[in-house]
Amino acid sequence: MEKDNGLVNKNVVKEWLLWGFFWAVLAPLWGILLSLTFNYPTYLSGEFIHFGRLRPLHVNGVIFGVFSTLFLGLIQYMVPKLTGARMEREAWSRAALWIWNVSLLAGFGGILLGYNKGLEADELPALAASGLVASLLIVTWQVLGAIARRKEEKIYVALWYTIAALVWTDLNMVFGNLVLPHVMPGVSNAALHGLYIHYVVGLWITPGGLAIIYFFLPAAAKAPLYSHKLSLIGFWSLAFFYPFVGIHHYLLSPIPAWTQTIAIVASMMLIIPVWTVVANFFGTLKGGKWGAFQTDFTVKLLIFGAAMYFIGSTQGSVEALRGLQVPTHFTDFVIAHSHATVFGGYVIFVLAACYYVWPRIAGGGFDARLAQWSSWMIMAGISSMIGILIIQGLVQGTALAAGAEFVDTVVAMKPYWFIRTITGITMDIGIALVGINLYLSGRKAAAARGAR
Amino acid sequence: MKRAKTIALVAGFGFFFLALLVQGILPYLLKPAAGISSREVTRTVRTPLGDLAEVKAEAAPVTDGGEKRGRAIYLREGCWYCHSQYTRPAAGEERRWGPVSEAGEYAHDLPHLFGTRRIGPDLLRVGGKYGDDWHTAHFFDPRAVVPDSVMPRFTWFFRTEGGRQVLNDEGRAVTAYVQSLGMQKGKWRDAFPYQNVRSGSASPEAAKSAERGKQVYSRRCAGCHGEKGDGKGTSPKDVLFTIAQPRDFTSGVFKFRLTPTGSVPLDSDLYRTITAGIRGTAMPPWFNLSEDDRWDVIHYIKTFSPDFSEYPPEAPIVVPQPPKPSPELVARGRRVFDEMKCWECHGREGRGDGPKSDTLEDDFGNRIPPANFTRGIFKSGPRAEDIFRTFMTGLSGTPMPSFADSFASPDDGWALTYYVLSLSADGGDQP
Repeated sequence: MEKDNGLVNKNVVKEWLLWGFFWAVLAPLWGILLSLTFNYPTYLSGEFIHFGRLRPLHVNGVIFGVFSTLFLGLIQYMVPKLTGARMEREAWSRAALWIWNVSLLAGFGGILLGYNKGLEADELPALAASGLVASLLIVTWQVLGAIARRKEEKIYVALWYTIAALVWTDLNMVFGNLVLPHVMPGVSNAALHGLYIHYVVGLWITPGGLAIIYFFLPAAAKAPLYSHKLSLIGFWSLAFFYPFVGIHHYLLSPIPAWTQTIAIVASMMLIIPVWTVVANFFGTLKGGKWGAFQTDFTVKLLIFGAAMYFIGSTQGSVEALRGLQVPTHFTDFVIAHSHATVFGGYVIFVLAACYYVWPRIAGGGFDARLAQWSSWMIMAGISSMIGILIIQGLVQGTALAAGAEFVDTVVAMKPYWFIRTITGITMDIGIALVGINLYLSGRKAAAARGAR
Repeated sequence: MKRAKTIALVAGFGFFFLALLVQGILPYLLKPAAGISSREVTRTVRTPLGDLAEVKAEAAPVTDGGEKRGRAIYLREGCWYCHSQYTRPAAGEERRWGPVSEAGEYAHDLPHLFGTRRIGPDLLRVGGKYGDDWHTAHFFDPRAVVPDSVMPRFTWFFRTEGGRQVLNDEGRAVTAYVQSLGMQKGKWRDAFPYQNVRSGSASPEAAKSAERGKQVYSRRCAGCHGEKGDGKGTSPKDVLFTIAQPRDFTSGVFKFRLTPTGSVPLDSDLYRTITAGIRGTAMPPWFNLSEDDRWDVIHYIKTFSPDFSEYPPEAPIVVPQPPKPSPELVARGRRVFDEMKCWECHGREGRGDGPKSDTLEDDFGNRIPPANFTRGIFKSGPRAEDIFRTFMTGLSGTPMPSFADSFASPDDGWALTYYVLSLSADGGDQP
């Protein structure tokens, strides 16, 4: 176990990550169950368990369960390391942990029972969502407090992203739950919702995931960050352009054309932060550090995730162009984008960080053979899933634009959907193995300590 | 960077609210003329003269015949994950799903239901496309009517009655909601050119296509009409069809024809019916099916009854160009309606409640209520030519006879046509 000067509360980090592993097994599993309904439409036909009730569990489970729980746990590790100060009001960490996860459990139960607000990525019932907000506010307070007491004057780039992500998401969750469902009906509601959705992915998952890789890539590769200037460009261009992209979900709708055009321009401008931060990560391994990509699981997954982030985000920018959006919107082309970025990028970032953090807080290593298997299953699974989703999206989109009968294009998707399920199963076993591997190695280390 | 405050205030608060203001609030605050908060819709209405007109109107508030509860169920069940509710001026969506979305149509939607994914078709304008019977069969088992569907079954929308499934309160509410979609546009469907075809072009070679037609039939028709074409598919066995029973093709009897009573229809008659569907019943319009598919299935359907080969269709009537409607014509139509005793079945006000209305049966022994003209739902089609055709050739197999020999002049027929159409002026109560 490394020396941490007593800054990190290891037990709290461990509990956060264990909850994260729990969601990392469950939420992708829901995805598999859902994907099977495309080929076997009757097997999930219960009043409380069918596609329409399970889908929000998958989406919210990945966003608020897998990614967010692991990210919030990693914050408890990363922030003390970066500030040289313990978390503010450390006792509150555990309260935040339980409020967060119990709210999620309750919220998901509520959705299954039919309490669905009807807004994508904002389905959680108000009570459960309030729990998430309370938990986020606690963590925000803790982080800002630790930063105020920091030992080093300069704030490292991972902290910029952490601060921004927390502030944005405190605001967005309040907006999404108190404002969005209740004001401005009709087209305006769609416009606001487009903003909300993209605030979730762009102002929470993206900066959160980037905070993780900015911290753990140099740490795991034992290499200094390639360029401070690039990280400045990357941060401020993301902060400025990302809030404006939300309307690209509703192009060619009655939302005014100029609003749509601003969203398209902002979407294209996102190429700047995406390419600069990816260049920064790859640059960090220049100078003889690429060997770590082979030997270190954190570096391996972070760099793979950065490549996925690059592909998925660039796809996201170009699919905002009207010409490409006409045939591809509403198809699996968009689903490819969301899996490439949210799973291929950010979830892989936080999983990679767990390979770094867990041995340091739980003691012991982990089974390298198992880690190798799981990494390859994750990488092969997500890559082939994105490939197949892009292809089927283009096939269905162009067939519809050419005037094919709708159901005929659905039938044409069935073989693709079947392959997609297999890629999903591959990937999800890989994810589950990360958690299982780390959990078992932690227990073994604890048993060894007990025996001594 | 040294200051956490800069990040929190400029990036965190500043850019968040800037974008919210520019992209979310500003479009709303701009004058309704800019579109986003407009309540105006272009509505197709039936005029008191019986023709169709487009008017600009204020979006109607939700009248609650179960639609509100139905919408809540639609949210609860997550229908909106697979069904979008907006048609774009692109990718042929106007041809597939109807006119491009207008801001005013959404004026009362909270939350909005635009959607981001189409695993099923767009539903913005689905109201009136299918009859309630079709939705009933489809909710109970989507694959019975659409064998390739991947939609879940919604069996909890049903209760059992007399050995068959009927919609319960929730099922009726969600059906009412689905049928209300697109109704802000009024009778747009009556003017929708892709659905309301005059008739088909020349029919291709029969022998070539009946084989392919069988495949089309088993994927699109067999669920209701049965593999044997006898009208005994799985759907009418499972759920109670309350409006009309699926046609038994083996009988060789068809309602909507240009040929005289008793004759088999022309291929182009079948083409028109398949394309437009039969309004209000479980028979949907098939205008999105390729023309080849439609012709092929017609040739296959004709193999079910020997009448088609033994008795070729008799000479069809020619429907002339309809005259322009006028108040005089409608007034004359009213007189013809009285003189020809249309009211005996259809009622004095055309509500389908005439003195004989309770006793009518079709040739298959099913109860058949006379049409209620005030609803504006015409099984034979919504165009003046469609109504006129029905007067001239009757509806075979039903108590509706041909009046071809009773009219003093064809103008009597047109007068009656416009009078009948005028009864659904001001919207009627079309679902």
